[in-house]
Amino acid sequence: MAGVLEIRDLHKRFDTHHVINGFSLDVAEQTLSCLVGPNGAGKTTLMDLITGRLKPTSGSVRFHGDELTGLSENDIARRGLGRKFQIPAVFKDLSVRDNLTVAYSRHVNPFINMIRFSDPAMNRRLEEVCTLVGLHNRLRVEAGLLSHGETQWLEIGMVLMQEPRLLLLDEPIAGMTEGEIEKTAHLLRKIRRTATLIVVEHDMGFVREIADVVTVMHMGTLLAQGRIDEIEANPKVRDVYLGTEEESA
Amino acid sequence: MSSNPYHDKRCQWLMYLVFFAGVGLIPVFIDDAFLLNQFALYGVFGLLAVSISLCWGAGGILNLGQGLMFGLSAYGMAMTMQMQSQDPINNPIPPFMLNNGLDHLPWFWSLFSSTGGGIFLTLAVPTLFCLLFGGLMFSARVSGPFFAIISLALLSAVGTLVLDIQPYTNGANGISPPMPLQIFGAPLDPYSTSMFWVVFVCLCGLTVLAKLITQSKFGQIVHALKNDPERVRFLGYNVALYETLIYTLSGFIAAVAGCCFTLIVQYVSPAQFDVAFSITMVIWAGIGGRLSLLGSIIGALLIQGGQSYLGDSFLNSWMLILGLFFIVVVRFLPRGLAGLIESVLGRLRTPEPAAHEASAALTKSGS
Repeated sequence: MAGVLEIRDLHKRFDTHHVINGFSLDVAEQTLSCLVGPNGAGKTTLMDLITGRLKPTSGSVRFHGDELTGLSENDIARRGLGRKFQIPAVFKDLSVRDNLTVAYSRHVNPFINMIRFSDPAMNRRLEEVCTLVGLHNRLRVEAGLLSHGETQWLEIGMVLMQEPRLLLLDEPIAGMTEGEIEKTAHLLRKIRRTATLIVVEHDMGFVREIADVVTVMHMGTLLAQGRIDEIEANPKVRDVYLGTEEESA
Repeated sequence: MSSNPYHDKRCQWLMYLVFFAGVGLIPVFIDDAFLLNQFALYGVFGLLAVSISLCWGAGGILNLGQGLMFGLSAYGMAMTMQMQSQDPINNPIPPFMLNNGLDHLPWFWSLFSSTGGGIFLTLAVPTLFCLLFGGLMFSARVSGPFFAIISLALLSAVGTLVLDIQPYTNGANGISPPMPLQIFGAPLDPYSTSMFWVVFVCLCGLTVLAKLITQSKFGQIVHALKNDPERVRFLGYNVALYETLIYTLSGFIAAVAGCCFTLIVQYVSPAQFDVAFSITMVIWAGIGGRLSLLGSIIGALLIQGGQSYLGDSFLNSWMLILGLFFIVVVRFLPRGLAGLIESVLGRLRTPEPAAHEASAALTKSGS
């Protein structure tokens, strides 16, 4: 299997606090990996390091063989990495349609965009994405007026408009109802047919439903990686993560 | 919401047509030279309002130093006009320089000896300045109040500098070129209909250009980055470049306004760099509605009109009245008069949004 993303010995230190401590990971093409771990394990920091929001203290992140560390956020996004944030980040006073059209970032040249008023390729993509995330009859609504679940879908839709090769989704089902979670699982499986996904998730039920590979993070390192049944049987994992969840449940 | 005619692009363009047709009819009905000159000056204020609306309203960049671009180009035009009345051989140095003990023409003045070159520099210097300064600021991710304060400080510094280097700028006295600009062999009389048309064409052309840009993909991206620049960055756009360009475009419009200003009043002084004037521009856009180019123009016309006709009877208290008015607008009409029109038009169409939401609720429960 071809490696889409290769992370090697990644470190991130904030003063004395070692948030990512020698983390390595390989992600294979067209898989859906779930990244799990207790709070403070460094999952969101890892996302920040991959997408360029933070610069690693040391280590390397390669995407299709190209080094990403040191590139700006927009350059990394241009290479085909789309990111959905933990707290949904949509443009609240733009309509759903405008949110999606802005996200279609195949053309980033500002001078050409000044004279671009319509784009047939973009409209086709908009049509596809709308069908996928199911926001067809909400296109004219201001994004700030959407329900929580719809906002999550809109942001997934925005990431899809970028036509990314790798999607990083940070807690895509946070705050969703059962029905919405079911729909999201279905959506992610559909996306997986054409792209690679990394999903940060807390809900183990959801992880069990969607994950090809589960990666467990703990204290900024890779604790375990494998199929969900292997992970659930792993005593180390039970100790740091699943154990505590069972207790609280 | 979408049924509001305020958001309908055709309605918007119709309003532009009505407004500019109305303004274009002014010289047909008015042939008083003084009034035409006043209207041309109002056109300059309109241009400045458009520049603020583009930067602050569309791009979310609050710029309290727009007077810098305006003042630089006003000085550039004054230098061009002054040099036209100097003879290169017998009398190459403007009289005020001689009075200030300067015995040679400074190098940056000699660049304005040719009219074409002078006008080019007048527009290019402020625009390039915006490009450099904006690029520097936005690539360092300076934004919001920090940018506003830096722009204000810079304006103040340049204003002081212009005041200070009296031999080169004639200090507080300013420059008053003895003759109107000679262009294509004829003088452009500030009290003529042609002067009015020059300003009209600039205002109309640049407003339409600004409107088109806000409706383009570029405009959408700029609108989005006003909401959340971080998100736009992660979509793959170079946010600093977009911010710099909208700021530069706005600076260019202010520079055109500065040119027209000197043509109309045939005088320029450090008062053009006055901090209060730049803040007044922001107040025009705030009251008229910064999100609407046309609203901002109308804001400028109302406030400056009010100042001309009421300011005389209130004199010193005018700034107080203006300040109070601004506070009231910010508190009760955050989107200005244009926002008031928007919500009134929206309220006229209440039944439709309700029906729309009901159908949305139905489809939602169905899914």
